[in-house]
Amino acid sequence: MFTLNRRRALGLLGATAGSIALPRFAIGQTARPSVTIAVQKITNNNTLDIWYEQSNVGERVFFPNLWEGLILRDWMGNQGPVPGLATEWRRIDDKTLELTLRQGVKFHNGDELTAEDVVFSFSAERVFGDTQPAGGRTIFETDHKPTTVKELPASVPGIGRRLWPALAGVEAVDKYTVRFHNATPDVTLEGRLYSHGSQIANRRAWDEASSYNDWARKPITTGPYMVGEYRPDVSLTLVAFDDYWGGRPPLEQIRFVEVPEVSSRVNGLLSGEYDFACDLPPDQIAAVQSAPGFEVQNSTIWNHRISVFNTQIPILADPLVRRAMTHSIDRQAIVDSLWGGQTVIPAGLQFESFGDMFVQGWTVPEFNPELARDLLRQANYKGDPIPYRLLNNYYTNQTPTAQILVEMWKQVGLNVEIEMKENWAQIHEPAGVKGVRDWSASNTINDPITPMVVQFGPNGEVQQKQDWTNAEVNELSVVMETSTDKAKRKQAFARMLEICEREDPAYTVLHQNAVFTGMKSSLKWKAAPAFAMDFRSSNWTS
Amino acid sequence: MVQFVLTRLLRAVITIAAVVTFAFVVLRMSGDPAQVMLGPDVPQESVDAFRRAWGLDQPLWVQYFAYLKSILTGDFGVSMRDKAPAIQLVLERVPATLQLTLPALFLKLLIGIPAGVYAALHRQSVTDRGVILASIIGFTIPSFVLGLLLVLIFSVTFGVLPSGGQDTWMHGILPTLTLSIGGIGILARFSRSAMIEVMGQPFIRTASAKGLKWREVVWGHALPNAAIPIVTIVGFMVGSLIAGAVVVESIFSWPGIGRLLVVSVTNRDLAVVQCILLIIAAAMVISNLVVDLLYGWLDPRLRAHVAH
Repeated sequence: MFTLNRRRALGLLGATAGSIALPRFAIGQTARPSVTIAVQKITNNNTLDIWYEQSNVGERVFFPNLWEGLILRDWMGNQGPVPGLATEWRRIDDKTLELTLRQGVKFHNGDELTAEDVVFSFSAERVFGDTQPAGGRTIFETDHKPTTVKELPASVPGIGRRLWPALAGVEAVDKYTVRFHNATPDVTLEGRLYSHGSQIANRRAWDEASSYNDWARKPITTGPYMVGEYRPDVSLTLVAFDDYWGGRPPLEQIRFVEVPEVSSRVNGLLSGEYDFACDLPPDQIAAVQSAPGFEVQNSTIWNHRISVFNTQIPILADPLVRRAMTHSIDRQAIVDSLWGGQTVIPAGLQFESFGDMFVQGWTVPEFNPELARDLLRQANYKGDPIPYRLLNNYYTNQTPTAQILVEMWKQVGLNVEIEMKENWAQIHEPAGVKGVRDWSASNTINDPITPMVVQFGPNGEVQQKQDWTNAEVNELSVVMETSTDKAKRKQAFARMLEICEREDPAYTVLHQNAVFTGMKSSLKWKAAPAFAMDFRSSNWTS
Repeated sequence: MVQFVLTRLLRAVITIAAVVTFAFVVLRMSGDPAQVMLGPDVPQESVDAFRRAWGLDQPLWVQYFAYLKSILTGDFGVSMRDKAPAIQLVLERVPATLQLTLPALFLKLLIGIPAGVYAALHRQSVTDRGVILASIIGFTIPSFVLGLLLVLIFSVTFGVLPSGGQDTWMHGILPTLTLSIGGIGILARFSRSAMIEVMGQPFIRTASAKGLKWREVVWGHALPNAAIPIVTIVGFMVGSLIAGAVVVESIFSWPGIGRLLVVSVTNRDLAVVQCILLIIAAAMVISNLVVDLLYGWLDPRLRAHVAH
């Protein structure tokens, strides 16, 4: 005989509630699609550590799907700062920035994000090693030691100090408040927080990993997707993290597969094996676009292709010759012929992301062969050879661009000779004569300090490798790094452009770089003006 | 016979030592691994720290003798890229490569030799001309062209086979075909030539004249005598089982030794490249040694020559 007691009544109520709730829950958890993305390279260093893997290919697999910082980059917008793991921030003074952490943010291992994780993410153990900040000493150094020893890659502390040269330490004010203390005044602290490297890692996961490699191949972060499986040189599978603070991710899985050959990536896309094929050269665009059901998305990215001069050789020590070289380049012809007009010639070493710091009216040196010839006459140039150390298509279209440049220089009487090199070490080899080489310049924070000061200032690679130097530029670099007077900084930057591009050329800008991604037209997704691929719900429509 | 084997073993050791030394010197002379590994944009202090950490700041001869000492004790070094023992990384990739090269070798032997022998036995026939044409096409098309052509036909046009990767057994079909077609052509040509040469010898006429069945003439007298050039070619094919798929692995994104070699050379991951080259050299040397021994077994005249 059925008797209804209190326990059974609760059970029936629970079952009834369940039967009502279950279908709705099920509706909410409908199967999500997964995507497969063919890339030329997943990572260069076979790790997923943002400090070790500082490459463009790393940016693609890291942001914004895996790693997140206190301040995020607006990947689909103007690349400017938007709140991330911090909801707000304010300046205490020229050297100190205070941030309030977003509450309830979960790491992939279920831990809640706290100030301790932020302190750890900027600690000596995680990044800086035994380096000290410029203009001061490390403060608030944590005594925390992990349970297992982690051997940080030897290159990481130097890379960390390049982005945070004067960071003295991070202070945990309370569970949800942190303060960044700089040893010197710095107006770009906020920008540094959304640069590649400043993202937040879970301290416990670092502690518990048996080695650096174990941690770096499955880092525990707060992103919308977490590492499912990583097979170095083969594939990386990111799976949805449903406790993500920004809402349920739209994809079940993102699978990056390494397909080194461009024709194989295109064939795989056209055969339906891949949903996206990245790193397409411009000459493959037509092949993809002509196939029904496929399209190519192109984005100019915040990276300019430049050629750098070496003033160690007597010919190029004369700025007149370098100026002649900058005026003999028909940049538009290069953009039209090699890029199909799908990129642009920027306003010198500037990016729109500079905002108020953008110097209006500035342009690259005009294409003026007559002026170039005249400058060479003034320099009494007699046709001495100028070596051009060149890599084989490290950059898209690099070799044909170089061949065109050499011909353009030849038209005004310059004798530039290409020397093919296999790698960067050979490009920078001190032995032999250096003349011209290729490079690119990126804007990583919305301030002209990158790339101008970082790449051409006294601590930049050009001066470190003794390619070129200029005393006034070095003085102006200090202003750019330490002054908080906006007008003064802008004036300093404008002067640096004049020196580096006109008076005493250190480089010449050729064009903005662009990336091309082939994809199925049926996918409702947009490419960002960056290598990063945004698969958050805001950029995916089912 | 012992002297025969010892001589060849000594040659093998010298060959391997030459490969090891050559690889060591060339890799270091063609660019600073620290700069190559870390890329163009890292600060100089990071490059310096990397060089110190991996002993690249030591004189070359110090590095060389340290390397020799370590390989003699079975230590093949640590990958600068993966921080794992080089030998472990290499051995992890061997099965994937053998998944392609072993079936490809099987197909080469199964199709190439019978096709060549059949063509020789039906000389000047339509079949013979067909085999010659097919074999010339097979071994003259570069594998990177053939691979892409097969992908275009079977993946893009008909959509029946995957274009790359290693997820299922189906993924292995096109790379195996690409690897085997050239080898089939080569073996067919060599088998045909060797058989034609043998079939013109007096002992074949003698065997026929004394009333042996044609099958017995071919199997008992012609084939064993035609085997030496065929075994030489097969020996090379066996020796390249480990590293014979570099291009094909790249085209089909197959994670074997070939791709590891390309990536490691590109990154100047010294220990891994040296380890792979050492294994390739050893495989080739052992294969040649076995072929030398097989010569003696196949041709009694060679045994007699050694004995004298």
